[in-house]
Amino acid sequence: MKILKLLLILIILGVGGVAAVMYSGVVDVAADEPHSDFVYWLLEETRETSIKKAAHSIEVPDLSDPELLLTGGVDYEYMCSSCHLKPGQNESDMSLGLYPAPPNLAVADDSHKGHEHGDEMQSTRKNFWVIKHGIKASGMPAWGKTHSDERIWAMVAFLKRLPTLTPEQYQVLTAVD
Amino acid sequence: MKTLTKIALILVPAITLSVTVAAHDPSMHAKKAEKADCSKMDHSKMDMKDPVAVAMMKKCMKQGKASMNKMDHSKMKGMDHSKMKEKKMKKDDHKNH
Repeated sequence: MKILKLLLILIILGVGGVAAVMYSGVVDVAADEPHSDFVYWLLEETRETSIKKAAHSIEVPDLSDPELLLTGGVDYEYMCSSCHLKPGQNESDMSLGLYPAPPNLAVADDSHKGHEHGDEMQSTRKNFWVIKHGIKASGMPAWGKTHSDERIWAMVAFLKRLPTLTPEQYQVLTAVD
Repeated sequence: MKTLTKIALILVPAITLSVTVAAHDPSMHAKKAEKADCSKMDHSKMDMKDPVAVAMMKKCMKQGKASMNKMDHSKMKGMDHSKMKEKKMKKDDHKNH
């Protein structure tokens, strides 16, 4: 009985504490004020582990068809480049203003600090999952609601080659017909 | 004179502020549909086993065909076909083949 009482008190204290934090307005939600290192680590670990688990069983199709680069390139230019940048570009309004900052996908994976990539297959699966489902409260939309899996795979194929492209190659591949 | 000074005092800061606001031109955010710039492609340096090179070639060929199809021959009234010499190729002209 004593244990039950103690548990009840702890639950009430916990709920009360959370409510106090929620309604006091002490949490700064401004995107130009970064999280503390601890909160950032907590959120990032949660995100990366979740994506890894969710994307684990995705079957990767053959992405070597050059046609995929053309379809994926145009979609990348219009849907992604304003946040994730393009060859020869270092920043944009969106890349500077969003928090957490969107990774620069025009540079090699090693340059993305804080984002786990694993091996190439794991990275490919992760890219597909993130494009299709998006990430809550990060500014990354779920493109799967409006785009077929085929189109998303084409974007994944384009992403694999993006860090190797010159600005001239990017221009040709992403231009409209 | 006093009224003029007052108007100037209001207008000058107002105009200055509005110019500052417009400095970040909204057109900077507008995406323009660009055609592929195929003029910089150096075919001699392209590895045709590379999917990027193949994709670029496809895009430029497609764009070239599209621009040819867009030509409206019916509106080309000034064209005098009789003055256009048709060059007939002889077998001897194919020296390199």
